[in-house]
Amino acid sequence: MDGTSLMMIALVALPIAAAIAIAALGSRRVAQARVAALGVSLVGLVLSLILAWQFHQHRAEHPPALSATPTFAPEMVPGADPANPHKTTWNILELGRSGAVQFYIGLDGLNVWLVVLTGLLMVPAVLVSWNAIEDRANEYYAWLLVLGAGLMGVFLAFDLILFYVFFELTLVPLFFLIGIWGGPERRHAARKFFIYTLAGSLITFVGLLAVVVVVWQRSGSEASPRTLTFSIPELIAQVNMHLRIPAEAAFWQRFQVALFLALFAGFAIKVPLFPMHTWLPLAHVEAPTAGSVLLAGVLLKMGTYGFLRLALPLAPDACITLGVPMIGTLAVVGILYGAFCSLAQDDIKKLIAYSSVSHLGFCMLGMFALNETGITGSMLQMINHGISTGGLFLIVGMLYERYHTRKIADYSGIGAKLYLLSAAMVFVCLSSVGLPGLNGFVGEALVFFGMFKVRPTMAVIGTAGILLGAWYLLSMLKAVFFGPLKEPGHSAHHGQGHSHGHGHAHGNVQAEAVGKHEGSGVQDITGREVILLAPILALCLVLGVFPQPIINSMQPDVRVVSTILEQRKEALRKAVPAPVETKTAEAQR
Amino acid sequence: MSNMSQYLWLIPFLPLLGSAIIAGMGKNVLRGASHWPCILGAVGSCVLSVMTFMAVQAHEIPLLDEYVWFRTGSVGDPASVQVAFSLRADGLTAVMLITVTFIGTLIAIYSSSYMKGDPAYYRFFMAVSLFLAAMTGLVLANNFILLYACWEGVGLCSYLLVGFWFFKPSAAAAARKAFLVTRLGDIGLFLGILILWSQYGTLDYQGIFQHASANDPYLGIACFLLFVGAVGKSAQFPLHVWLPDAMEGPSPVSALIHAATMVTAGVYLLARTMPLFGLCPDVQAYVAVTGAFTALLAALIALTQTDLKRVLAYSTVSQLGYMFLALGSGVQHERLATLAVVAAVFHLFTHAFFKALLFLGAGSVMHAMGDVIDMRKFSGLRRVLPTTHWTFLIGSAALAGFPLLSGFWSKDEVLLTTLRASQNGPYATLYMVCFISAMATAGLTAFYTFRAYFMTFWGPEKIPAEAYAHHGHSHAELPEKPHGHADHGHAHGGHGDSGHGDAGHGDAGHGAVRLESGEVMLWPLRILAIGALLVGIVLGPTHLFAHFLERNWVNTPDGFPVSMRTDEAPHPNLILMIGSGIFALAGIGLAYLAYVKNPKMPAEMMNSAKRMYGLSRNKFYLDEIFAAVFVRPLQAFAHLCRVIDQMVVDGVVDLVGQFPSMIGAAIRPVQNGLVQFYALLMALGVAGYLLAVLVR
Repeated sequence: MDGTSLMMIALVALPIAAAIAIAALGSRRVAQARVAALGVSLVGLVLSLILAWQFHQHRAEHPPALSATPTFAPEMVPGADPANPHKTTWNILELGRSGAVQFYIGLDGLNVWLVVLTGLLMVPAVLVSWNAIEDRANEYYAWLLVLGAGLMGVFLAFDLILFYVFFELTLVPLFFLIGIWGGPERRHAARKFFIYTLAGSLITFVGLLAVVVVVWQRSGSEASPRTLTFSIPELIAQVNMHLRIPAEAAFWQRFQVALFLALFAGFAIKVPLFPMHTWLPLAHVEAPTAGSVLLAGVLLKMGTYGFLRLALPLAPDACITLGVPMIGTLAVVGILYGAFCSLAQDDIKKLIAYSSVSHLGFCMLGMFALNETGITGSMLQMINHGISTGGLFLIVGMLYERYHTRKIADYSGIGAKLYLLSAAMVFVCLSSVGLPGLNGFVGEALVFFGMFKVRPTMAVIGTAGILLGAWYLLSMLKAVFFGPLKEPGHSAHHGQGHSHGHGHAHGNVQAEAVGKHEGSGVQDITGREVILLAPILALCLVLGVFPQPIINSMQPDVRVVSTILEQRKEALRKAVPAPVETKTAEAQR
Repeated sequence: MSNMSQYLWLIPFLPLLGSAIIAGMGKNVLRGASHWPCILGAVGSCVLSVMTFMAVQAHEIPLLDEYVWFRTGSVGDPASVQVAFSLRADGLTAVMLITVTFIGTLIAIYSSSYMKGDPAYYRFFMAVSLFLAAMTGLVLANNFILLYACWEGVGLCSYLLVGFWFFKPSAAAAARKAFLVTRLGDIGLFLGILILWSQYGTLDYQGIFQHASANDPYLGIACFLLFVGAVGKSAQFPLHVWLPDAMEGPSPVSALIHAATMVTAGVYLLARTMPLFGLCPDVQAYVAVTGAFTALLAALIALTQTDLKRVLAYSTVSQLGYMFLALGSGVQHERLATLAVVAAVFHLFTHAFFKALLFLGAGSVMHAMGDVIDMRKFSGLRRVLPTTHWTFLIGSAALAGFPLLSGFWSKDEVLLTTLRASQNGPYATLYMVCFISAMATAGLTAFYTFRAYFMTFWGPEKIPAEAYAHHGHSHAELPEKPHGHADHGHAHGGHGDSGHGDAGHGDAGHGAVRLESGEVMLWPLRILAIGALLVGIVLGPTHLFAHFLERNWVNTPDGFPVSMRTDEAPHPNLILMIGSGIFALAGIGLAYLAYVKNPKMPAEMMNSAKRMYGLSRNKFYLDEIFAAVFVRPLQAFAHLCRVIDQMVVDGVVDLVGQFPSMIGAAIRPVQNGLVQFYALLMALGVAGYLLAVLVR
């Protein structure tokens, strides 16, 4: 086995092995547990970066060709089939002679950046917990690493069963992270999160099995040999091949709708798409900071990624006919509704949680434009939201660690006291509101460009989210970080101390200058916090100015999806030569 | 291909680099020297702008189009998007570059003294430098998305600088308001860009301009939406409400961003896209009416404001209205497009000088008065602040349209264009109304400008206690700075009563303190004053300005469509000049009568027209109306959403969650463990089955 394969496996296996070891350390060795967790997460980050680089090199040497029946072609597959390096030979469970559940993982343009994102956010997730978690720290870091491994697994998997196993595996660690180390309502939040998302994904599982079974049943005709496969690329190829057989079209149309709805159940809850989002704010508010960071930063992307990897290519017709109106509408409503809910929150974390609902709405809106531009925008939005919202939760966590409250009303003018932390917060907020030059803009713009060609009305309504997003975040900034200084728990002292002689403002200016040295013992950003935030802030800027390398690396695989969809759109147009449609097409020209 | 092309990127990059250096080193290394990267960046950028100008003058159009920002979709895909960091400098850009970098340099120098001692000194120069980068990028951008990016970028800098003293609640509120109101307009701009892109398949200016024709069904809507963006950025009715509040920022910011440069971005946008707007007479009429109405409305509000900076802010809104009036008068049938953009850009150019001058003068007054800016609290300052006085007088006269000063020439071109537009065409009457309104506004402008001037510099010498408290305080803290350009943070929020030993600086000590600002602040004032005096007469009647724009922009191959060009030189209308001159002098005279000769007159006028006065004083209650009509309903809706989310959306989820246990509770009695009961159920089941079989 070569080094690449080892590294690929290590992405998943190393954190799990480390988790077991750390759990075995015992609850008293807090320092060792967190150092070990940091080491493992750093190794994971380095691995993901090396692999992304190798992937880049590999693609540069062997640019993928788009076949007539496009399907995903993962690179760097461990146990690769010598005949076809995009397939694996490692069976986990053999079913009869032809089919097997396989240990089939690989990298392609759709998952490589999500893998890097996971690796990237694991490090601050460990660092931000450094002092915040003392109680049963060994278990905590063990669960955190298992969560990271599960997320990696979901993105890497190219076998349906493997995908599903990892998909559900992420539930368990987060359940414990929220339920043990969460806020006062943690048990309720953990249970709701677990049951709600599990209920959805069980339906998804039925749908996934149905694809396998139906492909197996329908194959074996004159066109194709009998196929029992769990390989996602192969299933996509099979389904799309069957779609082209006129005699089978009617059946597949009906089946696709059912399949789409089944996949929708699990993925839409995970995204979460309005109105299936209510588990999210609760889970966020109760989760420890690291849990929130991974939840918003990566875990939600399992939903959008699921749509992209499975729903779009496996049920393209249903996506076109049913998905665009249904998900488009829900996404637009979610953008506005999430933003309005955000505007009315009095808890910073809840505000950011609802902003996720709004931002993931952008993500879904772009994806269901079903064209290359929209899907690219959606993918960028996934990565950018992970970075920006991860950053927001990290900073809120730092604030909480200092003052033990998240109520907006408890704060005022923190900028005068925690100068650098506030500057970082302003920066990340600006990235989150999609300021050009920072990362949020390009994805958002492409989402709108993509959607405007398909459903202009939806795009137009969605742009209101641009304003609302700025409204709730800037209002939060104004309330918490600007204005006269009021620290939670120190308001009385400050009110008397400064307002007498110098006026509020005067006192605050001095506080800005000397905030590090005096006052309530609360200090501005620490070295550890600088280290954990710096990469995120840097990425906000870099991805805003140089997004094209990312876009280029995604392009071949985005094009697989968009080509499938274009082919099906073309086919559907021919199948139903509705006079109404041609007329509108002419009018558009 | 000119050599200049390779260096174009340096124009925004130098200030950007300056900003990055200050951001990285300002707090701990540069500290009080943080202005140097900003000034050097601005100077470098200004030199390069002059070089660009010379290149353009030599009939070159530098173009730098190498670096892709983002690109998706293959060729032929209708939804493909291609955006490059593409920079281009034609005549219009050259003029804008000179304006931005020259005034930016002067203001950076002025600020190095004005902001001295502020604890966040470096943060100020970081944001100013960033602003210069974004603004030069905005005028250099060669496609709509890059323009949009810089457009938002200058908005960001405005946000950061309006909220510079973020610990003041009013500043924090003003910053948020400025960002959100302009962003409302930005959505319009973005949608306009989306439409243009989907219609013409490109985002480059030239690509769109070449394909546009008057018959395109969506062109009107697109132009209207672009105009919405301009309305937000350039503070036109009804989105002007953010600009007066933005005066919470330091005065140099008001001068640079909220008077001379950023707020003119909307004018620049419309001038740039005149090849599109010229095709839409309906939209043009709307632009003209908005401009004329805003000019009048803002002038009416300015009449009664007592805050010197707010008077100037409303005058900015009003003057921008003039520019939009000119642009809106660019109707194709009269071949006025050329005349219109020349008038608008010329007014933009002269306005940048005299308005920056006035704001810097106001800053100098504020500096001397211990940050008091309410004109009721000081008067008769002409002997106390001699240099500030004469430069402010020149600025006021230029703004008022005093004959032969710069504002006079450019305003005349605006009026002339509107008058020409009202000669015929479907909207002739409308343009006539606009013209009359603009003439009346000219009179009002002269009156309120000189009202402010007389209130500040004439009358009995009155200096607020803060002025001395401020200086005394500075002496105590910064003994090495004799003139005590102390930070302004100190002076806010009831600082006057702070008792920094102003007992010791009783009235006796007044004469000893020199209040006039230092030379670093006065030289920019002098230079701008010379500009306000001369740029009009040198460039206006000689047609130098007009010819430069025509030769190097309008009439170039990539300029306006041939149908919009005109070769005729605008012959000056002597009657109009005399008329507007009389209006200006009348306004100044009336202000002299009311505020110098007969100081009781304002109170009498106020009493005789109480309602009118109240409307003007309260800015026609527009802030309150917007709050009641938009802001509060939306906030209420947000709270409603929050409640619905908890009660309904989550309630349904919880209800569904109850189902399994409810079903369990419902069927639990069935399994009661009694054998007889099971037997009964079995019997009933068999009976039911038999019945079903038999009935079938």
